[in-house]
Amino acid sequence: MGDQANAIVVENLRKTYGATKAVDGVTFEVRHGEVFGMLGPNGAGKSTTIEIIEGLRVADGGSVTVLGLRQPHEAQAIKSRIGIQLQTTSLYPRLSVIEILDLFHQFYPNRKTLSTEALIQMVDLGEKKDTRSKQLSGGQKQRLSVALALVNDPDIVFLDEPTTGMDPQARRKLWDVVLDLKRQGKTILMTTHYMEEAEQICDRVAIVDHGHIIEIGSPAELVQRHFSEIAISFQAPGGAAEYQALAGVSHVSGEDGVITVYSSDAPRTMTALLERESANGAALRGLNVHSATLEDVFLKLTGRALRD
Amino acid sequence: MPTVFSLYVANMKEFVRDRAALFWTFAFPIFFIVLFGAIFSGGGSTSYNVGLVNEDGGPVGATLANTFQHEVKPFKTTTGTYDDELSALKQGNIDLLIVLPAGLSQTVSNGHTAQVQMYLDPSKSPTDAQIQQTIVSQVLDVYNQQVIKTEPPLALATNSITSHTLSTIDYLMPGILAMSLMQLGLFATATPLVSLRQEGVLRRLGATPLPRWQLILGQVLMRLTIGMVQAALIIGISVAAFHVHIQGNYLALAGLTLLGAVTFIGMGYLIAALAKTVESASGISSAINFPMMFLSGVFFPLALLPAFLAPFVRAMPLTYLADAFRQVTTGGVPDFPMWIDIAVLGAWAVVCVALASRFFKFE
Repeated sequence: MGDQANAIVVENLRKTYGATKAVDGVTFEVRHGEVFGMLGPNGAGKSTTIEIIEGLRVADGGSVTVLGLRQPHEAQAIKSRIGIQLQTTSLYPRLSVIEILDLFHQFYPNRKTLSTEALIQMVDLGEKKDTRSKQLSGGQKQRLSVALALVNDPDIVFLDEPTTGMDPQARRKLWDVVLDLKRQGKTILMTTHYMEEAEQICDRVAIVDHGHIIEIGSPAELVQRHFSEIAISFQAPGGAAEYQALAGVSHVSGEDGVITVYSSDAPRTMTALLERESANGAALRGLNVHSATLEDVFLKLTGRALRD
Repeated sequence: MPTVFSLYVANMKEFVRDRAALFWTFAFPIFFIVLFGAIFSGGGSTSYNVGLVNEDGGPVGATLANTFQHEVKPFKTTTGTYDDELSALKQGNIDLLIVLPAGLSQTVSNGHTAQVQMYLDPSKSPTDAQIQQTIVSQVLDVYNQQVIKTEPPLALATNSITSHTLSTIDYLMPGILAMSLMQLGLFATATPLVSLRQEGVLRRLGATPLPRWQLILGQVLMRLTIGMVQAALIIGISVAAFHVHIQGNYLALAGLTLLGAVTFIGMGYLIAALAKTVESASGISSAINFPMMFLSGVFFPLALLPAFLAPFVRAMPLTYLADAFRQVTTGGVPDFPMWIDIAVLGAWAVVCVALASRFFKFE
């Protein structure tokens, strides 16, 4: 098994299409039982990377080990132990949800599989179980394709932009499915370009751009690493400069009666602010305390917004 | 094997729910059978007005003349001079002119091959021409048989002339059967496969540990089944509704159906290997379908096609499949010996399957 701590080890992975370096020296590990997210804009190389790890593409260079097995030599053995949800999945268009799931059971003859009913319930497709796959909506197709990734009760689940095309409610349901899989001890490697998704369900994320990994860490770590200050804004009639002296404040800004103070020690600054306002007999209105997000981290690191 | 069976069932469901595939494999050939059956089977017996000119004074001419006049039931024979009968043919009063030339008996008794001349009315149906040609050839075969004194096979052929009159539908049915197997390979194999690939279905299946040979086997077995069902339906309808007689045995028909299906399904995979989009797959399929449909002797006898087309006609697998089916069902005179039909079809099958397995990609 070699590496006990890591489910997936990727070293110096490279893949070139013509003149484009889709994956350019990517190295990372995914630990057993964690939800690992690859976050980046479209075309960053996330899908190519994940598909090389799955064994659907062959790398030009570097090495990939999955559950102690090496790609691509042991691809067959790997495939029976992992579950794959592809970014765009279509299935036999004229077969129903039940028929497709039943068929996929047959593809794992040497493995315990999850029952079709359990899978349908898990992704909430009960009402659509007899519907032919070409008549499903985009979000329903995505859910079916997630169910197909779970048929063989896999040790590692690969999800490539699993919530694209889903409405917010369906998206949250899918997050619950992922967190439930995590509770069962499964390892999940997913890609996403939704910052909120990565923050909500990923233990660690790798920020990917132009085929490189530019940062790896938990969402909180990444934010902390790049934005040590927290912004506190509120409505006040006076000038911003009045607040410069508050404990922990590094700098201030203000416009249209809304003051923002940046603090490296938010609790102390908040306490000082509340004391000051109550001493002045004024209520603190429009209070908003927010830290930076992964979106801000991405913007800072690449100079581009995530969803461009 | 349970996996292959599940794939077989899944592919079968996918197929029978696909209207385009169903149209080309079932509706289209059955439409032709019913159409031609209704037009040509009519009274059930076909007869031809034949002008017979016997310029030979010897025993060979007399025997043949007697056979044409009294034993070949579909022929209503009149006799006369060459000039009279030729003008009768030109005026459309007779359908066929047979000339037994002077010196026929002499040539035969000298041990040489003599020629019986036959003149067809070019304005009549090509299928009629083929039937007439077959009957005349069979009479000559029977005669040869008696002279050379070899055994039975041709006794059967004699039987077919005298006990049953062949109608146009008898000739068309085997061709339509062959055509339907071709369309199974072109429209019900190539296009659906490219569509499965284009939409990423094959890719998704490739992401499971399922071995690819099992996936292909499931698809091919399903199509072979469809081919057998097509053959059973086409033959069944022809026999039940239009009184088509099957002279040969059904086992030979089943064997040819299998060989034809394998050849054209192989061709379907090859097209799917070459075509990147559904549009190009159906374009290539149509470009193969139409020339083969009209130039392979399905609707017109090969003899009527212009000589410059001969190399194409002889290259087309449908030519040989239609000829082989026709030999078995009508017991008539083939364009090629059976072993050539089978060898050419087999060669096409091997080449298509080999190229397809080399070039067919899942993504």
